[in-house]
Amino acid sequence: MQDPPAQSAEALVEDLFRRESARLVSALARALGPSNLPLAEDAVHDALLSAMQAWRFGPPRDPKAWLLRAAKNRAIDLLRRGRRFTVLPPELDSEQTLVSTVDDALSPREDCENQLSMMFSICDGRLSAETQITLILRILCGLSGKEIARAFVLDTQTIERRLHRGRARLQELGRLHDVSDAVEVAAREPSVLHALYLLFNEGYHGSDPEDPLQPALCADALRLSEMLLSLPLTSRVEAHALSALFCFNAARLATRMDADGVFLPLSEQDRSLWDAGLLARGVAHLSETATGTRLTRWHLEAGIACEHSLAASVEDTNWSRVVVLYDALFALSPSPVVALNRALAIAELRGLTAGREALLAVACDPRLAAYPFFWLARADIERRAGRTSDARPLYAKAIALSRSRAERVAFERKLALLQD
Amino acid sequence: MAKFQYIFRGGAFVTPGLSPSEMQAHMAKWYSWASALIATQHNLGGQPLQTAGATLRGRAAVMTDGPYAESKDLVTGNMLIEADTLSAATELARGCPVFEFDGSVEIRPILERDS
Repeated sequence: MQDPPAQSAEALVEDLFRRESARLVSALARALGPSNLPLAEDAVHDALLSAMQAWRFGPPRDPKAWLLRAAKNRAIDLLRRGRRFTVLPPELDSEQTLVSTVDDALSPREDCENQLSMMFSICDGRLSAETQITLILRILCGLSGKEIARAFVLDTQTIERRLHRGRARLQELGRLHDVSDAVEVAAREPSVLHALYLLFNEGYHGSDPEDPLQPALCADALRLSEMLLSLPLTSRVEAHALSALFCFNAARLATRMDADGVFLPLSEQDRSLWDAGLLARGVAHLSETATGTRLTRWHLEAGIACEHSLAASVEDTNWSRVVVLYDALFALSPSPVVALNRALAIAELRGLTAGREALLAVACDPRLAAYPFFWLARADIERRAGRTSDARPLYAKAIALSRSRAERVAFERKLALLQD
Repeated sequence: MAKFQYIFRGGAFVTPGLSPSEMQAHMAKWYSWASALIATQHNLGGQPLQTAGATLRGRAAVMTDGPYAESKDLVTGNMLIEADTLSAATELARGCPVFEFDGSVEIRPILERDS
């Protein structure tokens, strides 16, 4: 009779495979050079496949060490076979140094350097922002092509093509950039920050209809933005601002959806469930941004998130300050979503009529016409103003444009308020 | 109670393009199913098999690397089961995650020498 293994698969650290994939691919890619990125990905994929096979009746005592060994052996295997076809750096070409080089590369001590190095390499100006973030999601976040495709509501082939082009461009770089080159760091940092912002957003309000919240992506974005702070050459102020934004938003992840998997309006969220530790961390990061000389959108967004996160309720929120911040944000970054959120803040500060005007002022933007939250905002204002017959078709429009059950049911609940 | 052998073929282990998250989720399902069968005292032990190995075949016992069976036929593991009847053993196999990626389970009664 067999006893169940001492450690359960549930006890296997959540997300272990994904995070180890990210860690190991980054490490191998940095050590082997960008032209070997496909080899790095294959070695790690094979190691995970082995683990899935071998661990199904019980995990090993040390899962991380097991994966490390499997990835290392597979990488060495593939390198030996590929030696005839690929030009390798000298330390990998020689049998004497091959094993120790791969060993050193995979040491956890190097993790931070590996991932920072990859982040900056990936954010190369010759790659589009979409390709940069696609590569980051693949290499630094361990997502598959299919998962990335879902995140961007694109088909898998488009993503695979982007990855293919991205890998080819990285290959042209030869050795990865040494992140001690201050000029390069300064040139690329805006792209790195922007990519992390998009990554966070994908976790905070992603486009996967089945799974609109992916806290793991938010956690990864925060981990990477805080990692930037460990590098002396990056702009500490901007990395702090972005980290503050992530902390304030991540603190509120737990209440964004109810137990039924439906989005909750801010007014209905139980603020006592917001993560106090993350809020405090956000405040700490924000206080480090005061010394900066340049105001970026990250500062403004962090400031807005801070006002929401620290207020006791919607009514207690400092809407005056929020509107000021949105005015500045809109001047800096006039996107339709910013305009929408600004209008909502104006409604809270100056009343429904002012809010309605602000919404109508941006209604001609075709991107907003397709955005369900725009119609929701308009519907809410009419409902609160008592204009039930105007609100009804606006809610219907929002429902028709909803992209997930989480959104649709949330909007339907609002519509149902009209029947009272 | 009689003994049976489950022979697992194909499934996730021969399916390309799975993401790390999918692989971990799939493995957790196997673990749940196998543990549940241990708890009900049906599962006497499972063995996962490495995909690569060696094959000796025929009168001349010719050795090849492999096996190189077509993916869905590739044996990926086995499990020793105790159950009352073949029917019961087959029912227990229905919960196996192997089916999620189009794999199969063969359920074979073990011939006992002594009855």
